[in-house]
Amino acid sequence: MDASSTPNALRPRRPAAGLAVSGAWLPAALAIVGWWALPIGRPNRPFLTLEPDLYAASIGHPLLWLTLFAAVAALALSFLPVPTARRADMVLAVGVVALASVVAWFMISTTPFGMGALLVLAGLVMLLGNALSESGRVQGDAFIASSILFVSLFVLLFILYPLFTVLRSSIYIDGRFDFSVFLRTMQHPLFFMLGNDRSAVDEVALTLRWSLAGLIGFATFALWRRVRWTAVLARAVLGGALGFVLGALIYGNGALPTSLLLVSIVAPTATLLGLAFALLGQRGRLGAVRRSLDVISILPIITPPFVLAFAMIFLLGRRGLVTYNLLDMQSSWIFGIPGVALAQILAFTPIAYLLLRGSLSSLNPALEEAAQTLGAGPWVTLRTITWPLVRPGLAAAFLLSMIESLADFGNPIILGGNRKYMATEVYLSLTGRFNPNEAAVYGAVLLLMVLGAFFLQRWWLGGGSFVTVTGKPTSGALASIPRGLEVGLTVVLFVWTVFVAALYLSIVVGSFAQLWGVNYTFTLRHYQDFFAGAGWEVFLFTARVAAISAVPAMLLGFLVAYLVARQRFFGRRFVEFGSLLSFATPGTVMGVAYIFAFNTGPVLLTASATIIVIALVFRNMPVAIRAAVAGLAQIDPSLEEASTMLRARSLTTMRRVLFPLLINTLVTGLIFAFVTAMTAVSQVIFLVSPGNQFATVLLLGWVDQGQLGRAAAMGTILIVSLLLVIVVVLQLARMLGARMVGVRT
Amino acid sequence: MISGLKPATVELRGLVKRFGKDVYAVDDVDLHIARGELLTLLGPSGCGKTTALRLIAGLERPTAGQILLDDEDVARLPAYLRDVTMVFQSYALFPHMNVFENVAYGLRVARRPKDEIGTRVEEALAMVGLEGLAHRTPSQLSGGQQQRVALARALVIRPRVLLFDEPLSNLDAKLRKRVREDIRELQQRLGITSVYVTHDQEEALAISDRVVVMREGVVEQIGSPHELYTRPASRFVADFIGSANFLPGRYDGQQIDLLGYRWTHEQDVAAGPVTVMVRPEAVEFARDDEPALEATLMSSAYLGAATEYVFDVAGTELFATMSGGGMSAAEKGDRVRLRLKPTAVSLLPPD
Ligand SMILES: Nc1ncnc2c1ncn2[C@@H]1O[C@H](COP(=O)(O)OP(=O)(O)OP(=O)(O)O)[C@@H](O)[C@H]1O
Ligand SMILES: [Mg+2]
Repeated sequence: MDASSTPNALRPRRPAAGLAVSGAWLPAALAIVGWWALPIGRPNRPFLTLEPDLYAASIGHPLLWLTLFAAVAALALSFLPVPTARRADMVLAVGVVALASVVAWFMISTTPFGMGALLVLAGLVMLLGNALSESGRVQGDAFIASSILFVSLFVLLFILYPLFTVLRSSIYIDGRFDFSVFLRTMQHPLFFMLGNDRSAVDEVALTLRWSLAGLIGFATFALWRRVRWTAVLARAVLGGALGFVLGALIYGNGALPTSLLLVSIVAPTATLLGLAFALLGQRGRLGAVRRSLDVISILPIITPPFVLAFAMIFLLGRRGLVTYNLLDMQSSWIFGIPGVALAQILAFTPIAYLLLRGSLSSLNPALEEAAQTLGAGPWVTLRTITWPLVRPGLAAAFLLSMIESLADFGNPIILGGNRKYMATEVYLSLTGRFNPNEAAVYGAVLLLMVLGAFFLQRWWLGGGSFVTVTGKPTSGALASIPRGLEVGLTVVLFVWTVFVAALYLSIVVGSFAQLWGVNYTFTLRHYQDFFAGAGWEVFLFTARVAAISAVPAMLLGFLVAYLVARQRFFGRRFVEFGSLLSFATPGTVMGVAYIFAFNTGPVLLTASATIIVIALVFRNMPVAIRAAVAGLAQIDPSLEEASTMLRARSLTTMRRVLFPLLINTLVTGLIFAFVTAMTAVSQVIFLVSPGNQFATVLLLGWVDQGQLGRAAAMGTILIVSLLLVIVVVLQLARMLGARMVGVRT
Repeated sequence: MISGLKPATVELRGLVKRFGKDVYAVDDVDLHIARGELLTLLGPSGCGKTTALRLIAGLERPTAGQILLDDEDVARLPAYLRDVTMVFQSYALFPHMNVFENVAYGLRVARRPKDEIGTRVEEALAMVGLEGLAHRTPSQLSGGQQQRVALARALVIRPRVLLFDEPLSNLDAKLRKRVREDIRELQQRLGITSVYVTHDQEEALAISDRVVVMREGVVEQIGSPHELYTRPASRFVADFIGSANFLPGRYDGQQIDLLGYRWTHEQDVAAGPVTVMVRPEAVEFARDDEPALEATLMSSAYLGAATEYVFDVAGTELFATMSGGGMSAAEKGDRVRLRLKPTAVSLLPPD
């Protein structure tokens, strides 16, 4: 029977399609409960202390009455028997009022969030999510809509807002715009380059000599090539300028030139080595080479970034095994740019290698075969076919190494010597010189440099979202690399492998040696110290915090990946951009940012384990995002749509379709989030507090105090346990994944 | 047999879907689909068929317009509340579930009791003739069997409207014909309202109650297969459904005049110059004593069951298909006299 012909009175109360009751009723009720719990504040941290003053303040304020009123209205409206979409519009309107009023109250009162506040906010956000979905304003169901809101909120609160505070603190001091700190920092010899009165030499004169050399060199070359005199002049000027820049980089003692010099050494070297290893791994003829590359590619993941620097002290330091015991020199050349550069090259080459391996393996061998059938020899093929095709991968690897080098904190702090570095100055100006505004200036400059490089990379690669340069290995015989090149590269790899192995071994040995460089007798003393002292406790605390942070990092990363890859909504670019930002931002910058952002006000978090967890969640989320994006790309979206068409909501679809199919990816993402959390240092070092000490930070402190044996014990335990976790869990995941997907092998 | 189906009527009113700033995938579409009808959306690639289907499904949100199921606007309702379901081109069977679990999925999601799920899944599998295969995984099935699992999975939840997006395009040509007959037979037996998307005109004509021809997001013509073939509303439709020749002529309300060849024709077209649409099979060789169209034979190709000719009619090419040998005596360059079967001729507005 036609519904329109039914008399109004006889119409069923429930609309024929749609929801009898808006799903918003539950979150509305939650918000109301939260409202009653608002007075449970936590100025002194524990979540559940009842604050009588707060109670009076909160219940009395008109804004909060408005919140309560709107939430109750939303609850009542949820039961109204009108068409779903129209009802949702009404709920949406009052929901916005409720949220706006309660947020306004938090801003005004600056009361730290307590349990009640979390309930109110979560409830209201979910309420809006329900309403947005039911009103048809967001494609997708209430879960999707709420997720979009939550994720946007998180990106805003935990990524963009902290970074904003850094930029603000660099030029906005004591409530007004003030460029004095900015200018003073810029002019300070610590920051820039030349005219340092404290150093013995005259950097300006030295630099000008470089400039002159460049000028003469370029001019001579131009004259030799017999170009027109205007061209000679132009080249002479260019040469002079280049010489000046180079000289400034070398003699400028400040943080900026030092970091730039470091980058200009590390990025090309790491990229070229990465390329060499990738070529070897892909096209080499030796199986042993490939196996050693597999190991090399996993090492940086399980090793805290600065551990190699610390091992270098063992081998090459003042009392180093090689330098002191074998060569009998007492040199400290590794403390300074050479040492840091070496440590960074060791740390970042595997990353470049992984990236380039992906881009090499996506090359189509048919292209090279075609070139060879046209009579091109191996060298010609390499130059005309392979090289142009890997160039984008090289650009990516280069810029990534650049970013890593600029952002690196651990290596410069251990091996930096008396040079200054951007990333460490951020930390030292805050904790050493107690000047937050100066820290902000360093942070802002570093941030802008890194973001510049980062967006250059994205622009260069055509802005594919989250897509790393990876590809399916294509079948077919790959052109072998020229024999001579292969021999050379194999030698490089061999030296590299021996050196890295020696470094790792020295950590293990160092943890059992009485006193490195002096007395190599076997002892368990460092381990006893480790277990008796704070070490073990801190290690356990770190593992716990890392594990706690890994789960939300993975889930959130999966959610972001899902939303960005599978949903279309207003603000998608924003979410994507924010997540990328948290990936690109140097850890030290994010560290000060968190201090600035969460030291006071409604979101008071400093000096708690919570802030460490949150920091780790958002720092490691991008790892999970990339794992999930790669996994999702393998799944036909029509599987999810089929599930929707069978009336499953998106959460059900995730649980029953996506999770089983992606279990492998998810576990991998989880493990990597855990491992990166355990090896994190640069951001966490700002956030640790008494009672909330982090293993890597402690280790760094021990190295600093010269307690190398104990540090080596901690390093050994970290590396061994992470290796175990990776091997065991990944194996489990592989078995689990095979079972879930019903693959018969 | 699936019991408890309550097929709905579907109505689209001013439906618009815009992607980005200026891609109108569906542009102001009005459509009524009767209860139990199978309606096909037909058109060239990119004309918006899939988008229209996904709008009805709720997988896309319309930019404007209404979607009425049984007179109730569901345009803003999320997909899972619409009682509409879809069979996908790729079948979209869940690879980690066996056939039984795939078909049971919708019932499990709806938290039906276990024994009800058991009987309803059995029923659905029996209906598509897959009783014995409940414990196979999708990868162990042939394409046609996968297709039938997808169909059973869609039907078992008793949708009010069933949507198909090119369900046969992954099957080989022979199987395609059989499966489309199965689908049509099942659809008629269940009396379920269905919307079917295809770009294969033969498929559309074979199974539909009515066909909607779309072009660049707009509906060109709606009608039964017979109407579309015999009375296309535009050159586009005439060309897209079957093949057609277009010759300039005149119509005086009763008779068509095509270069002096005249015959009686009844069609609601304004008198004056017209375009005469001639199907290839309308052309025959005329006897000497009857009025005819003068033409020159340009080429012919003998195909066994039929012969294809190309004629020149006053400078315009005319393609013809004649069963058997036609007049095999005519040779290239010969003057011939042609007759047109009035039933396979239709008039269009002049160019
Ligand atoms: N998600 C999307 N974003 C942007 N444009 C889209 C999207 N989906 C479809 N379009 C565009 O809308 C138009 C109609 O697409 P649609 O998929 O509906 O075509 P179709 O008729 O189903 O074609 P086919 O026969 O090839 O499947 C096309 O121009 C297509 O490019
Ligand atoms: Mg399509």
